[in-house]
Amino acid sequence: MTKNFGGLAAVTELDFNVSEGEMVGLIGPNGAGKTTVFNLITGFLRPTRGKVLFKGKDVTNRKTHFITKTGIVRTFQATTLFSDFSVLKNIIAACYLKSRVNFWEALLHTPGSHKKEETVLARAFKIMHFVGLDAFKDQSARSLPHGHRRILGIAISMAADPQLLLLDEPLSGMNAEEVDRAVALIRKVWERGTTVLLIEHNMRAAMNLCQRIIVLEMGRKIAEGTPEEVKTNKRVIQAYLGTGKHAA
Amino acid sequence: MLAQNLLNGLMAGWIYILVALGLTLVLSIVGIVQLAHGEIYMVGAYIVYYFCVSAGLNFFLSLLISILCVGFLGVILEKFFLRPFRDDVEGAIISTIALILILQTAIVAIAGVSYKDIPSPIQGVVKVFGAVLSWERLITILVSIVLVSALLIFITKTKIGQAMVAVSEDRVAAALQGINVNRVSSVAMFLGCALAAAAGGLTGAIFDVTPFIGGFALMKGIEVIILGGLGSIPGAIIGGLILGFIDGLVTPLLSVQLAGIIGLVVIILILLFRPQGLLGHE
Amino acid sequence: MNKRRLLKALSYTVPIVILLIVPLYIKQPYVLHVLIMMGVNIVLASSLRFIATSGQFSLGHAGMVSIGAYTSALLVMRLGLSFWGALPLAGLAAMGIAFLAGYPFVRLKGIYFTMVTLFFTEVIKLTGEEWRGLTGGVAGIIAIPRPNAIIVPGLLNLGFTSKADFYYLALTLVVVTLVLLYAIESSRIGMTFLSIKQSEPLSESVGVNTSRFRVLAFSIGCFFAGLDGAFYSHYLSAVAPASFGFLLSIYVFIYMVVGGMQKFSGPIVGAILLTLVPELSRGAKEYEPFTFAGILLLVIFFLRGGVVSLPERLSKIIKKEVWLRLKSAG
Repeated sequence: MTKNFGGLAAVTELDFNVSEGEMVGLIGPNGAGKTTVFNLITGFLRPTRGKVLFKGKDVTNRKTHFITKTGIVRTFQATTLFSDFSVLKNIIAACYLKSRVNFWEALLHTPGSHKKEETVLARAFKIMHFVGLDAFKDQSARSLPHGHRRILGIAISMAADPQLLLLDEPLSGMNAEEVDRAVALIRKVWERGTTVLLIEHNMRAAMNLCQRIIVLEMGRKIAEGTPEEVKTNKRVIQAYLGTGKHAA
Repeated sequence: MLAQNLLNGLMAGWIYILVALGLTLVLSIVGIVQLAHGEIYMVGAYIVYYFCVSAGLNFFLSLLISILCVGFLGVILEKFFLRPFRDDVEGAIISTIALILILQTAIVAIAGVSYKDIPSPIQGVVKVFGAVLSWERLITILVSIVLVSALLIFITKTKIGQAMVAVSEDRVAAALQGINVNRVSSVAMFLGCALAAAAGGLTGAIFDVTPFIGGFALMKGIEVIILGGLGSIPGAIIGGLILGFIDGLVTPLLSVQLAGIIGLVVIILILLFRPQGLLGHE
Repeated sequence: MNKRRLLKALSYTVPIVILLIVPLYIKQPYVLHVLIMMGVNIVLASSLRFIATSGQFSLGHAGMVSIGAYTSALLVMRLGLSFWGALPLAGLAAMGIAFLAGYPFVRLKGIYFTMVTLFFTEVIKLTGEEWRGLTGGVAGIIAIPRPNAIIVPGLLNLGFTSKADFYYLALTLVVVTLVLLYAIESSRIGMTFLSIKQSEPLSESVGVNTSRFRVLAFSIGCFFAGLDGAFYSHYLSAVAPASFGFLLSIYVFIYMVVGGMQKFSGPIVGAILLTLVPELSRGAKEYEPFTFAGILLLVIFFLRGGVVSLPERLSKIIKKEVWLRLKSAG
């Protein structure tokens, strides 16, 4: 699948594609507009100019829930979770699209609806196990340590069954051990066939995971290519000067 | 006749502006939708009444005393009932509702529910543009203009005024710049309540004063800031005048209810289609 | 049926049986009136909380009650419908208006939604005062007939001439409302409301059409407010716009908050307790709002979860005390 995209105030004349099965990294110094790109793709913002095409369909200006239904799911930078729910309930709630229980079934608590909810529960358990949060099943999302909250965020997005997964700085705030586990998880998700677009500040992880990297600065694309090409690109190095500790 | 209604509308507009400016100061600087703002207006009216009638003082002196008293009352209320709920919408709603109940009941207990009348500062009428305007209404317009101008000068020319602007834009950034946000909040509350009290006192000289006049003032205040745009002072002025003219023209022609309905429908439409108001910027 | 289910079923049926036989022992009309008003308030507070589970605070209930009250009165008096037909239609009228107004209203978040519902209440009140032809204007409608008698030979004879009959009607209304609200809340739909309340962006991004659900929550809540309105107008036999001002909306909000918004039982407890307050402060009627204000302040400063969170809070405090004692002893 391809995605074309172009043009907006905070993001200017941006045009890039993501092909099915790729893991593409989106990097750039702070304020480069990376999260804005995610917002534009997923309907949280409207582009001033340009289009978002997904699997041949134009999804520009559509509402977020519709975009999710077509297969694009995102995570959030600030850890947005269902804070009062337990870890398991977070994932169950996120399985909304899979539950397909209609209003009257739900109201009357029919055996049919119970069956459907059992299926959902099984799926939620599977996802929870896949990301490795079984031990925290009944803990409230609010009380989770930071690293685990980011993982739960990934689990939530998986529950929505994405074909294209947009990860917004999933590794932020994690210590070395958590980063390794998260990287392994992201790789597992990708190997299952999910296309991934990854925003990350952690250069090493991004370079390790992605086949292709797109670099933004001040809302413009300034480089694109393999990790090797991008690492040695003069323009990219210049952009990062001043935040030297993140250079590869 | 038309001129008469326009002038009445102008007067109503300036009262609405005073109330709305007070409300918007509290909203953008203290950070709370002060639902009890109408009751502050009402208390202001009663204080003017008592100093005028019971103490026999001059109207303008009473108005000044009321402004100061209510201002200080506001500062106390802000510290205990508003500041704790700055980022707590639910708590703020509940707390300000409690304040409405307390203030209204206190006045009912002290003053009773019967209509009070504040005597006019200057009797008689004046001829303006072929219409007959009582001195009270003219004074209301003039005093309002003076107060609003004073506020604008305060905000643009004094250090605290500038601090208020900074806090209203970004509280955290302002604090980082060394601004004492709590003190600025208190000043904003003082000014906001002072304006409301002035509005109450001025209106009280024209219309009846009862413990229940606050609700109307609050509604109008909220309508004006939504119409004009949150946090926008020129917006509040324009919005106040527009709503004032609607009320001034529609009420005698149709009915007070229809004036209210039209005003509210305008506001609801604004909220739906241009939520930042006429001059707001979000 | 296992033992736990049996116990649970009993814990619901026993109180209902008790409530059913109340009028056999309590005959004073005044007491029955208070119980009826408790029922009315329970329906209002619970349906308001239902809306709040989707993260929306509505102050529009007074307007919805008003719509239900006038719709029912007019359908019965102008079109000759039976009360029993008018009652559901009144609920549907309120629900329909909530649905239509809801779509534009849910574009607003937080306090702006609340404000627009408050404006809505005010518009309804002003319209009631203005549209004299339809609503009788400021004076309202009087001499609204009692509900049509229900006569089942040998079993029931409810002529609605006594308070007891209205009591049974109110009780039925309360039970039906609570059962339906609970059923929806404990379903996937209820879970979706809660997810929207906790994070609207996250809910959207897992595929929830948050606007549609918010309108749904709002409409359903208003349906029950409309039903209550119909009951109200035929019970009091008179309605006027003044009865449905925003003070009513605020009072219902207070019942919900004081009782506790986190639990289903919260608004029920709140409505019961706070309906009693005006009755108990008969002596000093002007000070009644002080009592309300005092209770409100106690809740926001000390007991945010409301009255129903009191047992939990106390047990936490007691556990802490016990633990500290054990620690210092050991």
